[in-house]
Amino acid sequence: MASQTTPLAPPTAGKASADDGRNGPRFDMGQILTYAVLLTGAVVAIVPFFYTVSVSLMNLTEATGGAWLPRAPQWGNYEQAWRDASFSLYFMNSVKITLITVIGELVFCTLAAYAFARMEFPGKAFLFALLLSTLMLPEAVTWVPNFITVSWLGRIGPIPWINNWPALTIPFMAGAFGIFLLRQFFQQIPNELWDSAQIDGAGHLRYLVRVMLPLSKAPVMTLALFAFIGSWNSLAWPILVTSTPDWRPISYGLLAFLDEAGAQFHLQMAGSIITIAPILIIYFFTQKQFIEGIATSGLKG
Amino acid sequence: MSTTAVGKQVRTVTPARSNIFAGRQGRKLREALLAYLFLFPAFLIIGLFGLFPLLFAAYQSTLVGLNRIVGRYDGLNNYVRAIDNLTYVLFFWLAALLVFMALRSIMQARRTAQEKQWAFWIWAPSGAIIGAGFILFVLFIFRALPAVLEVPQLMRARGGPQASFQQLLAQALAAPPIQQALWGALLFIVAGIALHWYIARRRSPRDRLHNATGVFTGAAVMLLSAAYLLWLTWTEIQRAYSEALEAGEGLDIWSQIITISAGFLLLFVAWQLWDSASHRQSNAGTALRLGAAAALLASAWFLIGELPRAIAAGDDTWWYGLLATLYYSMGTIPIQLGVALLLATLLFQDIWGKSVFRIIYFVPYIAPFVGTAAVFRIIFSSRPSAPVNAFLRSVGADPLAWLNEPAGIFQLMLGDALTLPAWAAGPSLALVVIIIYGTWSFVGFNTVIFLAGLGSIPRELYEAASIDGGGRWAQFRHITLPLLSPTIYFLTLYSVIGTFKAFNHIYVLRTAAALGTTDTASVVIFQTFKRDTRYGYASALAILLLLIILALTAVNNRLASKRVFYG
Amino acid sequence: MRHKHLWMMVLLSSVVLLMAACAAPATAPAAEAPAAEAPAAEAPAAEGPCAPATEGEWAGVDPSGQTVIWWHNHTGSRDEQLTALLAQFDECGITVVSQSQGGYDEIRDKVNASIAAGEQPAALIAGYQNDQAFYQLNDALVDLNTLIDDPKWGLTPEDKADFYASFFDQGVHPAFGGQRLGFPPNRSMEMIYYNQTWLEELGFDGPPTTPDEFREMACAAAEAKGDGSGGFILRDDASAVAAWTLAFGGDILNEEGTSYVYNSQATIDAMTWLKGMYDDGCAFFFTEGYPNTEFAARNAIFAMGSSSGIPFYATDIQTIAEQEGRDPDEWGVAAVPHTTPDPVQNVYGGDVMIVKTTPEQELAAWLFIKWFTTPEIQAEWVRISGYFPTRAGTAEFLGDYINENVQWGQALALLPYGSYEPQLISYQATRDAATQAFNEIMQGADIQTTIDALTGSANEMQEELMAEVE
Repeated sequence: MASQTTPLAPPTAGKASADDGRNGPRFDMGQILTYAVLLTGAVVAIVPFFYTVSVSLMNLTEATGGAWLPRAPQWGNYEQAWRDASFSLYFMNSVKITLITVIGELVFCTLAAYAFARMEFPGKAFLFALLLSTLMLPEAVTWVPNFITVSWLGRIGPIPWINNWPALTIPFMAGAFGIFLLRQFFQQIPNELWDSAQIDGAGHLRYLVRVMLPLSKAPVMTLALFAFIGSWNSLAWPILVTSTPDWRPISYGLLAFLDEAGAQFHLQMAGSIITIAPILIIYFFTQKQFIEGIATSGLKG
Repeated sequence: MSTTAVGKQVRTVTPARSNIFAGRQGRKLREALLAYLFLFPAFLIIGLFGLFPLLFAAYQSTLVGLNRIVGRYDGLNNYVRAIDNLTYVLFFWLAALLVFMALRSIMQARRTAQEKQWAFWIWAPSGAIIGAGFILFVLFIFRALPAVLEVPQLMRARGGPQASFQQLLAQALAAPPIQQALWGALLFIVAGIALHWYIARRRSPRDRLHNATGVFTGAAVMLLSAAYLLWLTWTEIQRAYSEALEAGEGLDIWSQIITISAGFLLLFVAWQLWDSASHRQSNAGTALRLGAAAALLASAWFLIGELPRAIAAGDDTWWYGLLATLYYSMGTIPIQLGVALLLATLLFQDIWGKSVFRIIYFVPYIAPFVGTAAVFRIIFSSRPSAPVNAFLRSVGADPLAWLNEPAGIFQLMLGDALTLPAWAAGPSLALVVIIIYGTWSFVGFNTVIFLAGLGSIPRELYEAASIDGGGRWAQFRHITLPLLSPTIYFLTLYSVIGTFKAFNHIYVLRTAAALGTTDTASVVIFQTFKRDTRYGYASALAILLLLIILALTAVNNRLASKRVFYG
Repeated sequence: MRHKHLWMMVLLSSVVLLMAACAAPATAPAAEAPAAEAPAAEAPAAEGPCAPATEGEWAGVDPSGQTVIWWHNHTGSRDEQLTALLAQFDECGITVVSQSQGGYDEIRDKVNASIAAGEQPAALIAGYQNDQAFYQLNDALVDLNTLIDDPKWGLTPEDKADFYASFFDQGVHPAFGGQRLGFPPNRSMEMIYYNQTWLEELGFDGPPTTPDEFREMACAAAEAKGDGSGGFILRDDASAVAAWTLAFGGDILNEEGTSYVYNSQATIDAMTWLKGMYDDGCAFFFTEGYPNTEFAARNAIFAMGSSSGIPFYATDIQTIAEQEGRDPDEWGVAAVPHTTPDPVQNVYGGDVMIVKTTPEQELAAWLFIKWFTTPEIQAEWVRISGYFPTRAGTAEFLGDYINENVQWGQALALLPYGSYEPQLISYQATRDAATQAFNEIMQGADIQTTIDALTGSANEMQEELMAEVE
């Protein structure tokens, strides 16, 4: 089967492998089917979300009465949610926490994943199994030991961890999920590249940075996205390790707000939409990166 | 990885110096050191925030006490409370498995060494000593934990010496048993490595390169752990017997261990026979299959007869939690992965509007579950006027209670015609709604990873295939699937782990009216830990769940090892 | 090569951010440990209200100049107004910093984790009575009896008598040698909300007092609505189960207050009666959220819930009426329909507790509690929160508030009939079990069997937990 991985050719023009049916005037059954499936799926995926948006624009009567659409969109709900949830207070905290976490996670996971995928060392299988086993412990029992750890690290180390950025970011800078994900993709990259890189005299680090990373843009970006979402939406841990607003994330604002909004669905939904808007926007503008194929990246550089 | 090794031979031209980093062996050492360097930051963090909680939970699962981090030692009683006498069977088999794995790794390495005529047994002493060192280090951690965890109590004690945290910590760690374990561990590891070097210097470079110290280290660690587990099980069984004797009750742990073990062994034999039957000719194959069926029947007889009796006094909430977890997992994974693969394949084509579709499919995953769960509550409300019930009424069906319905779906389908026992009634309708929610929200996650996987398949392969005249299905079957297999493997494994641990949305969607039928194992653990603050019992449950996931992962790996293809 | 720039950008911004992050802690720790500040600049006066006592358990402890942190469960505008109220506190140079932690559950998790790690929780924390038991397992709380009875810092006999006895003594724990671990700053009560306008349209004069009247009215409303809603919104919470049992003349605690009695005749009668209402379509479940919006939208004539919901009901009724272009319905709150001669009302609410820190902090925290529960300040807190005061003397400061908030006044009048729920250590878990049992009964389970099983398992759990306490 190894013969299937042909050495890579230079990038070919754009949509060489594109579907061939679109240009002709004839009906392509396959394409009709494709669209039928995609549209059905899209409807199922979007309806609950669409309903969320719809409720977020209703007034109290409509939200209670079970209407599907607001008669007149109440944009003021968003203003009220933004104000009442003190989002402006927590927004920058979330941005900072998330960026620190994502960058750390990308660097540390890439290095570790590369070691697991492309290097030989004693205890590799054992360490990998150990890594996976950390994924398997239910989170509920990890909170207290991890709280102890961050509290004590803060006491031993130079800066406090509780109520500060280290407790919110460092524990998430490396995780089995990220290492495992990247390892899988790194392993997929043909061995021939390593051989030729070695002939060029490249070491592991240079090979990783110059060859592996450009080829793995999609998985790395995917990991960045999931790290971003995970950090942005995390709630239980940030509440546990912060007691002042200084480093509290936006999800705390949402929780406190949901509690206060009580039965007012429309405000709850408006608050929820505000918190996910940044993720949606980022994903919208970067989504091309997630699937950029191997052939378009090439081997130069 | 064999190709990598072959590839490296191209460059064995470095002149041999006395430098230990030179030569082929030197390069191997250099690579290993560099790999450890790459791993260091990640493992520092994972060690602190992933492995430490694991050890902590293992330690705490032997303690009992309310809201106590360091409770009273209670042996395996937390496990017995959860799964009754099956505990002893489980721990006995864990030990047996470790022995088996240790012996197998030694045997395999020995066979290879014999074939290639490398030295083998000479590495045993150094490996054993290093392994013992590692075990001593674990012992150090388990001895240090209670002492160190008492420090907060000492600090809060009024009127005592007002020592600082660092001082108290140092005092706690200075206790002789802890120090002995620590220095013993370091001594053993250093001595083992020194012995290894001493031997290695006297052997040929070829033997040095293919030394078996690592194999023996692993085997020693496994054997010593097995010995500890056996000792623990043994003493705990003795304790249970003496307690039963005092209470004037009868106990038959030993017979249960034997019967249940025999049952599982026969199950294993049946599987092996069946597996080998598929490679044989018709007659031999039939005979093997018959044998397998017989073994299966016998094992079923043993297990059905004994298991219910052995777990009778266990925690019902826990067993139902596991059953709900199983339902949730089986209900979500196949659909979630199948749909995601289909969508990703379709979206990977160059079609109009693909970026819009990609965003739409991803929305359920990123939308905060507090919002979407509330929407699901409204859509699947038990009110007759709620969306789904309104639809049912319009097609002439009766409205259902959905999230408030504790009855199993098979029971609901049968109606009143027949009353099924609890275990056969299937997941409750409420759990089914949660399964729908889980599938709905995680399809996007899987789709994005599949898309990344598809992106890593060289397009030239498809071009070559279309020149060869391969149809779309053939391309999918012969290019996409095999090259996507690492991604599929990853997602399967991750989904198994994820669904067994799933918590947030299940917790948010549970209603009191569902009568606990939606409480999965992770919900039970959460309640035990947070609401009841029975840390020891919750940790024991968490370890049991971990063992189950571990077993499933092992099975998954076995199945996948034949099918995953790395380029 | 555009992606190269992208990576550069990411790298650059990361460096900038990391630097920013590293620079930040210089300011952050200010909020971290304000606890043990040195006493304020002025030397402690030998005389005066803030001078250390010369006798008693707290002799020589100088509370002046302390900064006390309070972890509470109030959020949003209530949190803001509470902070403003605390600014008025000006005794002995003590500063109280209020820090919202979300809810009671979050506070509980934080305190438990902090105790385990040796991290100092806030000196003042809010929480329920059964939380107190859990904290005290680690000897984390101050016994307030020493402070209340202190000759210099304690309460006067008149003060003590002014507190409603049942609230005042709720924080006393027989399981911990009669220690007083919590102090009640406020309370709320399980109530029936009724729609007066609708009742009158149906030909009734006013709210029901007996179960029979209640049933008649709910059924009439349900019949008028005709779609399965309209009657009474059932509440499956354990507090509601307790409230019905009390109203039917029973109790869910035995007389010594040491174990549960969920299977008394009162509970059986109450459950039978509620199940009958449910089966006849006069009561229904609404499980998607709080019932106030349903009540305001005239989907139910009766709802049940805590009196602390009164402000929310008021707003919702006003808003929905405005949006529907009609006059707001007249509504009110009443006692839970009872078979007893007088109402028996379930009253509940969180306490404040003092966590063991330094004696100075503890004393300062107590001085704050003392101030916060004076009638004047309680009255202000009532206006902010809608809770009930815990002492009779508050009433004189609330005359105008009662006039403006009719429903709140109605509820306050019922305070003398208050009774309370168990504070046994297992009550957190038992609450869940009671809620589930209520649902089982409404789904058709046999009442006697179900509540017998509930009583059995709840007492078993209580014994089990008490065994682990020892």
